[in-house]
Amino acid sequence: MLAQRWTGRRQNDDGVRFAPALTIACIVIALVLTFLDRPDARIAPLASLRAGFNDLSAPVLALAARPFRGLANTGPWWRNQLALAEENRQLRLQISELRAWRDVALAVQERNARYREALNLQGLETGERITAWTVADRSNAFVRSRLVGAGAEAGVRAGFPAVNVYGLVGRIVDVGQSSSRILLLTDLNSRVAVMADRSNARALLLGDNTGQPRLEYLSREPDLVDGDRIVTSGDDNILPRGLPVGQAFRDGQGRWRVALYSDAAPLDLVWIWPFETVEFPGDEPEPDEPAGLTGDMAGAPPAISAEPGLVEGDG
Amino acid sequence: MRASPDRSALWPSVAGFMMSLLLALVLYTAPSSVAGLPDLTPSLPLIALYIWAVRRPWFVSPPVILLAGLLQDLISGGVMGVWAVAYLAAFAIARPRSDEGVADVLPLTVRFIVLALLAFGAAWAVGSAAIGAPAGVWPLITEALMTILLFPVLGWLFARRKERAAMFNSGRGG
Repeated sequence: MLAQRWTGRRQNDDGVRFAPALTIACIVIALVLTFLDRPDARIAPLASLRAGFNDLSAPVLALAARPFRGLANTGPWWRNQLALAEENRQLRLQISELRAWRDVALAVQERNARYREALNLQGLETGERITAWTVADRSNAFVRSRLVGAGAEAGVRAGFPAVNVYGLVGRIVDVGQSSSRILLLTDLNSRVAVMADRSNARALLLGDNTGQPRLEYLSREPDLVDGDRIVTSGDDNILPRGLPVGQAFRDGQGRWRVALYSDAAPLDLVWIWPFETVEFPGDEPEPDEPAGLTGDMAGAPPAISAEPGLVEGDG
Repeated sequence: MRASPDRSALWPSVAGFMMSLLLALVLYTAPSSVAGLPDLTPSLPLIALYIWAVRRPWFVSPPVILLAGLLQDLISGGVMGVWAVAYLAAFAIARPRSDEGVADVLPLTVRFIVLALLAFGAAWAVGSAAIGAPAGVWPLITEALMTILLFPVLGWLFARRKERAAMFNSGRGG
């Protein structure tokens, strides 16, 4: 009886029944939390709660994740066994070709540095990559994200891109002290400005919780062909330009989608790339107060005359 | 002052309940997906909650289900409250029976399938409302299927354990 009063349950012949008031109260609490925690309108206290919870759970999850790291490599290993000899032959060929390309790349890099110096071109500031292990990767129909064991203490900040060996994985959304969450490119809330490497055709990469995100906001006749390499365009000032994303292809309904490069490897180890976005220009600075002007006129811009080339007050 | 026998037997069960639920949550989120293949992880927290609801019905109260659902949402990075609402609705409607005299896996499994279908259906509805678009059904169907397929194994182990405990108690009583 004590247990039944304590939990609000009643034992009937046809099963255990909850106390209706308690059940309804719990459902209402959960619904209110759902409303307040919507991805597009999350309130700050819940975001802080998430970051704190991630920090608390990350060490336990990291410990639990260790036995599974080998399992994550099973897929590529299993697939590669079927064509190991062929792959080995192709890799040897590629290595011999890449040796020549490496020399070309070094020469171009050196020449590029000279041009930059000559043009005084300011490159994007990027820091050293931060390596992080995935500690939780539960993706489901509602969210596609990864929890990684590196946070603000390691220099991670919201918005930093996360990449794996092959390409862009997503970007950081929640940052705790020792953990952070990556919003994957496939998540419904992911929006990334991209372009085709070949034609520079711009598009927006929209996640829709499927394995292959869509390309939207293309021009009326986009210069895209199947197999085009898609990279970040940097137009959104969120991610740097040129990060490899995947290959464009048309799905069964004729819509452009991208097969992500990052899918070729498990996401157990990722690199977070510190990337400083370009600051938006602030308000125009107040002009210096000219000598001799006081009161309301001080700091006011000169009035433009209707006649071109004349500025009132110039005499 | 000595604790009563009932109460002293209660705390190991409470500890077992909490540990198994936490273990289910941790294993549920462990990075076990294989690159290039769909994620086949079953909903272990739902199985844990159901087995405990059958074994010790008074443990699995609405606030406990709420907490378990919220933990699942937080740990998986989803919108808070989605799985909490789904579990509460499913448990309130399906009303799992306690296992007085029930050691058969089949009725246990049938009732679990009903509960799982209710939970995943409710999760789809609430989750879709939360993200503002219809959620993909295939990931949910896959997860539901894997959960339903795994349950008979765990249900059988649970039934066997219950059977052995009953035999032990009757032997000791006789």
